[in-house]
Amino acid sequence: MQIGKIARSSSHIDYLCQVYQPGEVEQVPDPREYAFGRFVRLAAAESPGVIGIVYDTVLMNPDFGTLGPRLSPASDLAVFSPDYLNEKVTLVGIVAIGTWATDGAIEHGVPPLAVRVDTPVESLSATEVLAFHADGRGGVRLGYAPLLLAHGSPLARQLLLRTIEQLEALCPAARPQLRVLRTGLAWRAGVEPLA
Amino acid sequence: MAQPIGTTKGPGEAAHEFTFITPDRDEAVKAGEFVYYEAAVDGQVRPVLGRVGGRRPVRLYPDAFLADPAVPPEAVAGMVGYVEEQPELFEVAVTTLGYYDASLHDFVNPRLPPRPGCPIYIAGDEMLAQVLNRLRQGEVGSAHVGTLLSRPAGAVPVVVDARAITSTHLAIIASTGAGKSYLAGVLVEELMAPHNRAAVLVIDPHAEYDTLVEMQAAPELRAGDGYRPEVHIIRPGDVKVRVSSLTLADLRYLLPNLTEKMHYRLGQAYRAVQHRFGQKWTRGQFKVALRAGSGRPVTDPRADEELDDMAVDSEQDEDSTVGALLWRVNQLFEQSHIFHDYESLPLADLFRPGRCTVLQLNEVDAREQQVVVATLLRRLLQARMDTEKGKAAVGDESYLPYPAFVLIEEAHNFAPASADVITSQILKTILSEGRKFGVAVGLISQRPGRLDADVLSQCMTQFILRIVNPMDQARVAESVESVGRDLLAELPALSKGQAIIAGAAVNTPLLCRVRRRITPHGAEDPDAPSRWQEWFATGQDSGRERDLSFLLQPERRNRGKLFKTE
Repeated sequence: MQIGKIARSSSHIDYLCQVYQPGEVEQVPDPREYAFGRFVRLAAAESPGVIGIVYDTVLMNPDFGTLGPRLSPASDLAVFSPDYLNEKVTLVGIVAIGTWATDGAIEHGVPPLAVRVDTPVESLSATEVLAFHADGRGGVRLGYAPLLLAHGSPLARQLLLRTIEQLEALCPAARPQLRVLRTGLAWRAGVEPLA
Repeated sequence: MAQPIGTTKGPGEAAHEFTFITPDRDEAVKAGEFVYYEAAVDGQVRPVLGRVGGRRPVRLYPDAFLADPAVPPEAVAGMVGYVEEQPELFEVAVTTLGYYDASLHDFVNPRLPPRPGCPIYIAGDEMLAQVLNRLRQGEVGSAHVGTLLSRPAGAVPVVVDARAITSTHLAIIASTGAGKSYLAGVLVEELMAPHNRAAVLVIDPHAEYDTLVEMQAAPELRAGDGYRPEVHIIRPGDVKVRVSSLTLADLRYLLPNLTEKMHYRLGQAYRAVQHRFGQKWTRGQFKVALRAGSGRPVTDPRADEELDDMAVDSEQDEDSTVGALLWRVNQLFEQSHIFHDYESLPLADLFRPGRCTVLQLNEVDAREQQVVVATLLRRLLQARMDTEKGKAAVGDESYLPYPAFVLIEEAHNFAPASADVITSQILKTILSEGRKFGVAVGLISQRPGRLDADVLSQCMTQFILRIVNPMDQARVAESVESVGRDLLAELPALSKGQAIIAGAAVNTPLLCRVRRRITPHGAEDPDAPSRWQEWFATGQDSGRERDLSFLLQPERRNRGKLFKTE
């Protein structure tokens, strides 16, 4: 499902997606489609798709902090200055973790090509998530895990934990390996910081 | 061209050590293994050998990857993108031995460590067989004791130099059950093989070497000229020591806790018999000499026994010191069956080329064992000295015109660290001077910590098997200079039948897998549970109950009725 478009980037793998609002698309995306840890595809037409994960959410509200009286009530603004109201947006941070070529080839790691502004972003279905992680032997691979941890986000470990939990649910055959990885991460993310 | 197995990283902890990095996919780089790099020495490219001391992994899986025993860490690593089949990488420490100089029969250290990046090769079997062994298997003076431990069985034979063993002495040290008697058996077999034909005496306090007698029938030890080793077992009852071969120190050792006056009388009597009868005197003559200092001297040795009784009965007439001393001397000579007036073990019978004599001392008192060994070693050294200096001629009792080798089991009893026993001095003399006269000893001990450090350090070839006791390890480390730290660290980890061989008989210390003996091993532990099972299986238990049944007392009726009220 389409959730938004790329608004800007802060690095080769770190993008900001502006979530569609009412009026921009027929069906406004459900917040679950751009939830923390959701896998998304950043794809322009006829170009290999970059796969990313939602790692952050930022709410933009230009009206915040202007507490003084207004000349026009909100209902009038909707008629006379609709653009002003559109400045209230939801932005989600996406880290690029791999590519999914048009011929079906999947690579985990830093995508070689950057994504352009306004590239549409769509969420991946469970089947697509499983296909992106399939190792070809019935198990899963997480070749981007070191990249996520090196990304520098304070939520990186939590993000990886969330990803592993998703995969445990999707691929029961890989649960033992995933559990080893998850318990190690959970210790470092949950217990060690409190020590 | 051999394929390199690693690449030099840089210098090691010591000047003669270096390190290299290897993935070691074939698991060939074991502790004690020999590797080499090529270096130009005097314009010629030579392989410079080194021995692998230790290895440590430089890539380790995170502990978290090892959390589930059912999930191999490779699977977890593979999941996060690391898909190498053998990701391990090791840093290996090597002690440089040098290049082998055939003219020196030794390794020469080039004093130049390999350049970083220099390829490292595993030394080939043929190369090792040439440079580790001074002699080829079957050559005169060779003793094939086993194969190199780091190689498959039989790939690289370990052939020690029997000439070094039989001139500069040998020590076999190991914990109980590590295989020291077995190894000693292998060495004796090699010494008695047709290419050596040695004159060997085995001092056997536990009677575990009698299986060596099967060497006589072993076809492997026969030669085309009709030679076959001769094995002569001397049972404890046949051990004879002529009393006149005892020194005053021997007598004092056999008669402990004498008073000063008794020591004086003993010395007086000893010098008297020596002066009067020379090197051959009897117990009776000695006792006569003892009585010469008392109030009732006796001159007829034949009357001595009758006078013994009289002396005991009428102590008031005799000097009490002499009486007590006589009683002690009588006790010594009467209770022991090894002392004799005229007979002793003839050296020419004990030592003869092609003959292995096993002197069993298992029923002999500990002090007497020491005196037997001391007198034998003293006689042997004296005979060799006299023969070499031309003082003994053919037919003389002390004529021994060939070198001899004495293997002493439980050597810590004959040269203990904590005490100076009667054998200590003669052993030290032989260890320091025996080489000149062709007398060598091999000391076998399970407690090197209790063995005199000087004695151990003068054995120039060492066979060290598994040692677990820290005190024993420390003694070995302090007394055995030729074995490096890296090999000594292997001591507790050695298995049964694996030995470190170091010293004069090998070109460099090495780890050896001892070969199988030709003759059966005589020191097997008894299988007590099986014997107990046999007791019941053969019906001996019921037989014994039957035999003892007549001893059962009839039931005593009326017993205890005295106090019963009913």
